[in-house]
Amino acid sequence: MRSDLLVSILTELNGSSADIEASGVISTDGLMMASVLPASMDEDRVGAMSAAMLSLGDRTAQELARGELEQVLIKGASGYVLMTYAGTEGVLTVLTKASAKLGLIFLDVKRAAGRISEML
Amino acid sequence: MSQDFEKLTVYGKSFSGLTADKEALLVEIGPQIKPHLGAVTDEFYQQLLNISEASTFLAGRVESLKKTHGLWMEGLFTGPFDKNFTAQMFKVGDVHVKVKLPVEFMAGAMTLINNRLFSLIVDTFGDDKQRCGQVIAAVNAVTGFSLLVMQQSYQASSLAEELEKFLKISGMSRTLFTNLALAYRDK
Repeated sequence: MRSDLLVSILTELNGSSADIEASGVISTDGLMMASVLPASMDEDRVGAMSAAMLSLGDRTAQELARGELEQVLIKGASGYVLMTYAGTEGVLTVLTKASAKLGLIFLDVKRAAGRISEML
Repeated sequence: MSQDFEKLTVYGKSFSGLTADKEALLVEIGPQIKPHLGAVTDEFYQQLLNISEASTFLAGRVESLKKTHGLWMEGLFTGPFDKNFTAQMFKVGDVHVKVKLPVEFMAGAMTLINNRLFSLIVDTFGDDKQRCGQVIAAVNAVTGFSLLVMQQSYQASSLAEELEKFLKISGMSRTLFTNLALAYRDK
């Protein structure tokens, strides 16, 4: 099953760094396709909010002449939210701890997004 | 945007006090009032043309607007005041939004109409104070009902217009917006 494969990519991604707390693959319409989230998180909200933020990021990059959007990064006191396209129809969202080493995370997320893109 | 006109009719009537008795009275006095409505419409547009903020919306359209207005006024004394009447008033409000008419114009215009209609009612039924009072209450109820429905439409249309603007600016699809709203609906 495709969703099982997506979950296995996400599980692998979460396992690549102790700083990654959650991840999900979402359609650009905001519907969750697969996720590895803590039970306390609402899947629908993570999905819809991620797609909305990426859409807004896309528009911002375009409006402010920053070229094609690569990712949206949100930094909060408790950690980061990283959103990136996985192909044209998917969004990969990753939640990390505040202490996360972003360089490594970016690399792992990019690789995971590439694999997800091939699957969608 | 879908609208439950049956529900809006009940809601509008509960506020305006348009009861079955008042509806029947409006239809009953129709034959005495209708011959004078052309003059009411003429006077109404003359008053609007004297208000500079309003006159800019009327340029070149007065005669066609008078026709529509006349039909609406006839309807006030014809009925039925059912969901079709409500749907029609809702549409009128929607048209007002599309021409970007300021919202206060509707309440202002309804006041002008009521002033003129009340004067006509006093002229027609003034000899019988009780009936005159009943007719004024009925007319006030039906114009109040019409105004409430138009304002509901105004609110809905204005929100829809704002949402369209937001979606265009943000780049969000309508489906994404709907999913976002669904994710945050009260659980």
